[in-house]
Amino acid sequence: VQDCHVLRYVSKEESGGKTAKLLVGGKNVSPFSKPESAHEIFKEAGVPRKQKVTTFNVTDDAIIKPGTPLYAAHFRPGQFVDVTAKTIGKGFQGVVKRWGFKGQPASHGQTKTHRRPGAISTNQAAKVYRGKKMPGKMGNIYRTSFGLKVWRINTKHDIIYVNGSVPGHTNCLVKVRDSKLPTYKNCNKNPPFPTFFADGDEELPEDLFDEEIFQFTDPSVTFS
Amino acid sequence: RFLSPEFIPPRGRTDPLKYYIERKDMIQRRKVFNIPEFYVGHVLAVTTADPYATDKSKRFVGICIQRGGKGLGATFVLRNVIEDQGVEICYELYSPRIQAIEVLKLEKRLDENLMYLRDALPEYSTFDVNMKPVPRVEHEEIPVNKLQVRMKPKPWSKRWERPKYNIKGIKFELPEHKMKAAQKWSQPWLEFDMLREYDTSKIEEKIRKELSEELEK
Repeated sequence: VQDCHVLRYVSKEESGGKTAKLLVGGKNVSPFSKPESAHEIFKEAGVPRKQKVTTFNVTDDAIIKPGTPLYAAHFRPGQFVDVTAKTIGKGFQGVVKRWGFKGQPASHGQTKTHRRPGAISTNQAAKVYRGKKMPGKMGNIYRTSFGLKVWRINTKHDIIYVNGSVPGHTNCLVKVRDSKLPTYKNCNKNPPFPTFFADGDEELPEDLFDEEIFQFTDPSVTFS
Repeated sequence: RFLSPEFIPPRGRTDPLKYYIERKDMIQRRKVFNIPEFYVGHVLAVTTADPYATDKSKRFVGICIQRGGKGLGATFVLRNVIEDQGVEICYELYSPRIQAIEVLKLEKRLDENLMYLRDALPEYSTFDVNMKPVPRVEHEEIPVNKLQVRMKPKPWSKRWERPKYNIKGIKFELPEHKMKAAQKWSQPWLEFDMLREYDTSKIEEKIRKELSEELEK
């Protein structure tokens, strides 16, 4: 988590959606590469220019004042989380890599046809359907992995340890939300609500672990 | 002084913060559980916890073939031949299931990767399961075993005569023309390639200082 700040509050009537929205900005970046008109949102909140701005749908009791920083301690170990990011861009890729088609055999008389899509439609249809799987640019789109458990949080360096794999390359920007899966709806026991404020109310230890995880200070595991 | 190879961060674009935190965890684990200094070619005995074994623990003796991985996922592969069946087990150094690592025999070999033992005669990989630990002679030198290993007849799992593997520990009994033909695949420009240089001396110094400070606490 690198310098996240709340930028603006958009109410339900203004935005036209079902719930109120909060605009949140990510990593700090130099203000010189964009024109002054783009800096207005950041000036209102009193915050340096951010690389990425996302929206989160928020209920009315979780509204936060624009300009508050958000930390990794907002999440607790044992929570379940959805992670969204842009996948690694693979460029223009053929049908075998992009959609997993089997292609054609390597020998037995195949002339110049080993990784081609083959037939694209039937005779009766007399057209190619919309959304037909064909070669094209692969990757560099937003994808989400759902239901990832948070095992450990480092409050000093603002790091969240999450189960399993997450889309994107190393050092890419990632959006972390509470899980929307129905099995994990009641799993969040006493998270800091609306968020964790670093003003000094509660002093958290540097590392927060889940109960089931192995601490390095314990001796080796033995079965009885 | 010895620095375990898994502490040295690999060359890449990841944040050094990640390696710093992994090192802190590794030091924590080392404080509780002693991981002895060992190289490829040592004979080790490892006891791991196993829920399905009687006595709930398993002991495996073998020669270390290779050490791989960096950070907390550092592994080492032990090989032994038990009842005419070659067995290789890959252990993670920082796994909480490992209960003890003992060094039975201290011996460096000429190479850093002893994978060719799979194609060597089985007598070179057999070690007695109940071997007594050989007492360490001096604090300074670790003896280098210049053993030339004899191989089974070809085909091998990898073409060990090719210069890419750079193996010095095999006694090749192949005819001369085959050895010459293998030199065709040599890439003598690789050692002068400047983009591949990764100078770790300064990084090692810093890590050594960090380690010694932390372990003394």
